[in-house]
Amino acid sequence: MRRRVVITGMGVVTPLGHSVDALYRSQIEGRSGVGYITHFDARTFPTRIAAEVRDFELADYLGGDAQKFEDVGANCRFALAAAKQALEDAGVLNGGVDRRRFGVYLGTGEGQQDFFAFISLIGRCYQSETQSVDVRRFTELALRELHLGREREQEPHTTVAHIAEYFGLEGPNYNCLTACAASSQAIGEAVELIRRGEADLVLSGGSHSMIHPFGVTGFCLLTALSTRNDEPTKASRPFDAQRDGFVLGEGAGMLVLEELEHARRRKAHIYAEITGYGLSADAFRITDSHPEGRGAVACMADALRDAGLRPQDIGYINAHGTSTQVNDKVETLAIKKVFGEYAYQVPISSSKSMIGHLIAAAGVVELIICVMSLRHGILPPTINYEHPDPECDLDYIPNVAREKRIEHALSNSFGFGGQNVSLIVSRFRD
Amino acid sequence: MEPRVVITGMGLLTPLGWKLEAIWQNLQAGKSGVRRIQAFDPSALPTQIAGEIADFDAKDFVDRKDRKALKVMSRPIQLAVCATNLALQDAGLNPAQVDPTRLGVVYGAGLIASELEELGPAAKLTTNGQPYFVDLEKWGREGLAAMPPLWMLKYLPNMLACHVSILHNAQGPNNSITQGDVASLLALGEAWRILRRGAADVMLTGGGDSRLNPLSMSRLCLFAPLSRRNEAPEEASRPFDRERDGLVPGEGAAILVLETLEHAQRRGAKIYGEVVGFASGFDRRRSGAVLAQVIGQAIKNAGVHPEAIDHINAHGYSTPKEDVWEAAGLAEVFGPNNNRLPVFAAKSYWGNLGAAGSVAELAISLLAWRHGLLPPTRNYRYPDPACPIYVLANRWHESHKDYFLKVAIGERGHCAAALFRRWR
Repeated sequence: MRRRVVITGMGVVTPLGHSVDALYRSQIEGRSGVGYITHFDARTFPTRIAAEVRDFELADYLGGDAQKFEDVGANCRFALAAAKQALEDAGVLNGGVDRRRFGVYLGTGEGQQDFFAFISLIGRCYQSETQSVDVRRFTELALRELHLGREREQEPHTTVAHIAEYFGLEGPNYNCLTACAASSQAIGEAVELIRRGEADLVLSGGSHSMIHPFGVTGFCLLTALSTRNDEPTKASRPFDAQRDGFVLGEGAGMLVLEELEHARRRKAHIYAEITGYGLSADAFRITDSHPEGRGAVACMADALRDAGLRPQDIGYINAHGTSTQVNDKVETLAIKKVFGEYAYQVPISSSKSMIGHLIAAAGVVELIICVMSLRHGILPPTINYEHPDPECDLDYIPNVAREKRIEHALSNSFGFGGQNVSLIVSRFRD
Repeated sequence: MEPRVVITGMGLLTPLGWKLEAIWQNLQAGKSGVRRIQAFDPSALPTQIAGEIADFDAKDFVDRKDRKALKVMSRPIQLAVCATNLALQDAGLNPAQVDPTRLGVVYGAGLIASELEELGPAAKLTTNGQPYFVDLEKWGREGLAAMPPLWMLKYLPNMLACHVSILHNAQGPNNSITQGDVASLLALGEAWRILRRGAADVMLTGGGDSRLNPLSMSRLCLFAPLSRRNEAPEEASRPFDRERDGLVPGEGAAILVLETLEHAQRRGAKIYGEVVGFASGFDRRRSGAVLAQVIGQAIKNAGVHPEAIDHINAHGYSTPKEDVWEAAGLAEVFGPNNNRLPVFAAKSYWGNLGAAGSVAELAISLLAWRHGLLPPTRNYRYPDPACPIYVLANRWHESHKDYFLKVAIGERGHCAAALFRRWR
């Protein structure tokens, strides 16, 4: 018998609340967290809207210790706050468990590059005539003007190191970065670490913010973002015929994953069990998903197989549902291929309609919404669903939450570049 | 029964060359891959030396039909893509003959710096000569239009593994581990787990990294403990030596083909060795205590007696601090002077290859098995009482025993250990 893995703690920082309860309540109410970008002056950008995290202070979570993290970026701040909630929730914040058997596996984004310092440097060293940079000048100025602490914090392994160091977790320590699939993949691989006995507990999840000039620039160039700037709260509209791109969100989500017997021994509260993990690669293009949903089909089927479940056992699908033309069409197609006739009966919704796309952190936050749906028997809607798309003809729980008792929920995350992950959470039964 | 996992191919792009025979000859000749940086003018930097790959042109390594894709690949991605091709050739493996859903990719990757020239026109338009000033209004209006549309995709760390999956139709598990200098060994550990749980038959694993550009080098000079031995580049990387003064940045890619034993034997593959143990952890006090437990666990998992180990392939940063805690961890496991168990540190030849480092380094041990001889650690002249371990120096070690241990550490406290068995 393989070791079973349960969730014993959860924490979030999101555009719609900084606690799991607040997030779930706003999901059920169908509120939108999207508004105009305030983190920087985005007035002339093709996209001026995003779902920002508001009223967030790290000191609310870490007290005076927040000062230790002066140079860290948003990724790390969100991660620390969500981790603190999850560890507290699981009752393991103050030790009592073997640190060596307690790992961390995150899917946390790269640090934010210091846009103003970096671009102003290049601007002074770029020679238009030769289309080249005066490297000697650039390096001279860079040494003088780049901020040592903030530069160090950009390395993608710093967040996971801060978390392990601050909370004293000495087990396996990983960070993966597979774009929009990262935190789901982190959870899946963390489950495998526990199943295979490399750890008894793993703090897993992710955090990300790309609502900064470089992030918005990058996505605008790819024409991936919604440009519905006049109606921010209507911009993220997964599966709606008039969807025109995704809306950036930001935040973090963390889970305490624990081996079942370990959780029982310390009488931990068990939220749910992670029963299925499937992963695949599209191996198609860096910019588009496979038109037949090859990878999406494979990872959903793989997760069902891993969980030993039939398609009809799944009571709810939390879709990747980005609100881009291609994703929503292909994901719908892939669900039909995996679920057959039952695809038309299983309720599906996209949390991104309300909180936007948290990129690396999207998967974990959406999985937490699945866990809450299992527990409370209310499925969150897809908001802004107004115009049916003939190619998206499934039940997307339009606009209003639905009561339904479910046993198993499946959550999809598909990353830019073709990494696909599906996770299944199940009501815990002995 | 869980499948056994063997290594059947390797592709290396290193400062000591890329042909396996050439790398070996350079090791035999005692050559160093560290030199004054030639990729750009380093004269304003406090550290002007690096382990650099000379004359790399990705076009030499990829099929004509795939060359167009090279344009959207930054240097670390190109290095990884090319090393992957070398690894597949070395393994005699045509990916088209593997079930695509059973072929996966897990690579280590680092932070990839944007090429300055790509941002140049937009930066020129929107800055006024003052530090920290950018006219954001103008950036939004005119700057974006002056940038390449796929700009962001050229620098995402998951693109190493993505491009490889696309070029070789690898539809199986695909992940990118961004864990600093431990990344590629953690990637190998994950690939090993994936094969053992039956989720793939063949996994490509390793990593690619390059910090040899003006931005990354400036950043490293600010916050990383770099060697400043600019006047003697070849002597700058000196792991565990008392006179070490910091690490030497490097670049490279190292990819291994991992297969289940059954798959390898079915196709009659040559086998370099078997992965038999792996463990990882976080040594938050950087004292070596957790590292020692991690090493102990990797050996214990494999059910191997420490006396069966032929040598230790160390991380050996060549920094004053990290070498001390690595040595403390080794000494705790193997006893004082690690019982004359030889320690080899490949960074002494080519510096720190970042996210590609651990796997490039362990590949030297695999080659050593093939030749029956392990090269000495370069530049180890003055033993350091703070590093009480037995470093193999000045002579080649006859490699007879059946196992070697690879250790990787990160400056923040990350650590991993893997145990490999010689194939007989």
